[in-house]
Amino acid sequence: MSVPTTSNEVTASGLSSQPSQKNMSKAERRELQEKQRAAKLAQKQQPQTADTPNKPKSKPKPAAAQKKSSSGPTETAQSSAPDASRSHPKDATSAPIVDGEATSKSRSLRIFSHFGLPKHGHGAKGDIHPCIVKLALQFSEFRISGANARCIATLTAFKTVIQDYTTPPNNTLSRHLMTHLSPQITHLVSARPMSVTMGNAIRQLKLEISGSDIDMPEQDAKDLLCQKIDDYIRDRIIIADEVIQDFAGKKIKDGDVILTYARSSVVEKVLLSAYRQGKRFSVIVVDSRPLLEGKALLQALTSAPPVSWTLSNDSLLPPPPPIPCTYALLPALPSLITEATTVILGAHSLHSNGAVFSRAGTALVAMMAKQHSVPVLVCCETYKFSEGVMLDGFGKNELAPSHIFQTIPTSPLTPNLEILNPLYDLTPPSCITAVVTEVGLIPPSSISTIPMALGRINL
Amino acid sequence: MDSICATYRRKLEDEQISPPLAAILSLTELCATSNAGTMFELVKALNEGADFLKQHSSNPISLNAGCELFIAFVTLFPHDSASFSDLKMELVKQGEAYVRQALTYRRKIGELAVDFIKDDSVILTHSYSRVVMETLLLAHKSKRISVFVTEARPRGLGVKTAEALTAAGIPCTVILDSAVAYAMEKVDFVLVGSEAVVESGGLINAIGSLNIAIIANAANKPFYALAESYKFHRLFPLSQYDLPSHNSRMLSFPSPLQRDRPSPDQSAAQASPFSTTQEEIAKNNPDVDYTRPDLISLVFSELGSLTPFGVAQYLVGMFAG
Repeated sequence: MSVPTTSNEVTASGLSSQPSQKNMSKAERRELQEKQRAAKLAQKQQPQTADTPNKPKSKPKPAAAQKKSSSGPTETAQSSAPDASRSHPKDATSAPIVDGEATSKSRSLRIFSHFGLPKHGHGAKGDIHPCIVKLALQFSEFRISGANARCIATLTAFKTVIQDYTTPPNNTLSRHLMTHLSPQITHLVSARPMSVTMGNAIRQLKLEISGSDIDMPEQDAKDLLCQKIDDYIRDRIIIADEVIQDFAGKKIKDGDVILTYARSSVVEKVLLSAYRQGKRFSVIVVDSRPLLEGKALLQALTSAPPVSWTLSNDSLLPPPPPIPCTYALLPALPSLITEATTVILGAHSLHSNGAVFSRAGTALVAMMAKQHSVPVLVCCETYKFSEGVMLDGFGKNELAPSHIFQTIPTSPLTPNLEILNPLYDLTPPSCITAVVTEVGLIPPSSISTIPMALGRINL
Repeated sequence: MDSICATYRRKLEDEQISPPLAAILSLTELCATSNAGTMFELVKALNEGADFLKQHSSNPISLNAGCELFIAFVTLFPHDSASFSDLKMELVKQGEAYVRQALTYRRKIGELAVDFIKDDSVILTHSYSRVVMETLLLAHKSKRISVFVTEARPRGLGVKTAEALTAAGIPCTVILDSAVAYAMEKVDFVLVGSEAVVESGGLINAIGSLNIAIIANAANKPFYALAESYKFHRLFPLSQYDLPSHNSRMLSFPSPLQRDRPSPDQSAAQASPFSTTQEEIAKNNPDVDYTRPDLISLVFSELGSLTPFGVAQYLVGMFAG
């Protein structure tokens, strides 16, 4: 899938001749990425590849890529990826190239170098539970993405970890379990930066662990913790979503045109439940590269209705038509926003100044809606609240790993081209009409009242 | 069930009692007469009564605020009385005490708002509001004020305001609703009452308030609202069409069939095909509108002078907590 590029995701900085990453195996790509990150962190520090068997393969990459780039577009080598990487010479003078790459990498994207910088906890002390290893891989490959999904997956994995844990002798569960969990958390964070939801859930879990009764038999204590985790998932996510569906559904009326951006699990549920309640409205799904998550939403919405005939008043009624949907990319937004009656968005996290941190592009949609006086609703559970204040999307963000979302071919003509794909942006509170939470519709300015009203500020 | 409506209407006959208070009084009476044996039954009966009132009222928004407040109070009331009938009597006593106390709120609000009125001010107000009257009469005692009041069609309550103010010796002029922009140049600030104050910090008030707020905002004149705290309502309208008072009949276009019918074949001698009487126009027009929080400078309530943002925080703290 090679789609023409737009300039906003490209920064032409740095001198790196980024090797074509398509002709590498997954392990190599990951390794290369690690190496680049390490290089960015500290130029002088040698990349930590010494302990892996793949080292000889990955090092000659730059040379190989250059060689190939002179002969044609890299796309051609895509299918025969493993062969290509194997066939390339392994005798290149590895060390100087690596050094050169390190310096050039560090120069590229330098103002964004803090985005998504993973904590280097690799090879962390303590053993990593297999399910955490698996989860970390799924995170880094974006198999599991979305704040809710990641939080639920993390908590579920922790349940397994807790069940498989045995307290070492001369120690208590309430004191030792956390030291067992922290390397697992570090491992997860090294795969992808922690989401606010995970942070909140883990903080709650820590509190539960430290508060567990010392005298309780170990198995009981573990069962109790797992029960607490289940409760957390149920109360703060599942039930909360149901309440949000109810509140937001009341704001959808027959004949409305709902505009949404990318894919949020809550928005999807809201739309589907409103549809099941018999509301007849249409949806505009606005989407954007590189993730194109809106496609999944479109799929869910259009395949939604139960395809069955219903019997009412002794006559068979045909199944209701599916939700009429329009799918468009972000550049088409200005011409579509005038059609919309309500904009409903999801959120990654919500900050106490009312700012919404969400998928990159959300701010654009919200601002455009404000410009056209279209009400903007943000659906967000209270467990996504963060006590911090955020003023822009530059302070903290994450980059979409280019090896997964290869959006433009690394052309030989643009060796200095570096791709910038921030995953999130920040919507200022002034562009949001209301935040739909499980405690009701809240104006964004009053967000800070909520954790206090719920008594959930744990200092 | 009909008795609750009768009670409601009887209570409203008192000049001092506004719809939310009348609703609270009707519900207290329902509480006293109901034969509910448990809290659950009582709350159910109250909810049914509130729904019944809402269905039989032309404008349910402010009434609803009162019902909501009383039902929330009943649900949260600590019930450790010996018997349930004692508890009911206690609730009735509390409800009546609240209404008595609430009647002093207007005075408090007046005292608070008077400090914002400078000597020799020109004030624009809209329609008729008890709390605005109280404030203006109080201000008249210590300051020279003159008042523009809008006619406030379709109900024309502005005339009532003008009569009362003139009788009190306050210079007062009735202006057309359409003359607000003209008059705004001479106005120092706008002072309106309210049907309800909603969770966004916005205001629901007699139709025309939004026009005045927008004009005041454009002319950079402060727009003050007066609202007793029992008018704070847990509602979040996203737009005018999202108000609970809206229905599909409102502002609907007549079907072209009806419009075309008399025109070609019938003579021009017949009166215009459109019925243009005031009643006909008013029938399909809304009674209230929603003023966005960003157009409001301050909301005075007996809790203090709040910004719309402060109102939002208060409401969220009260109901979401």
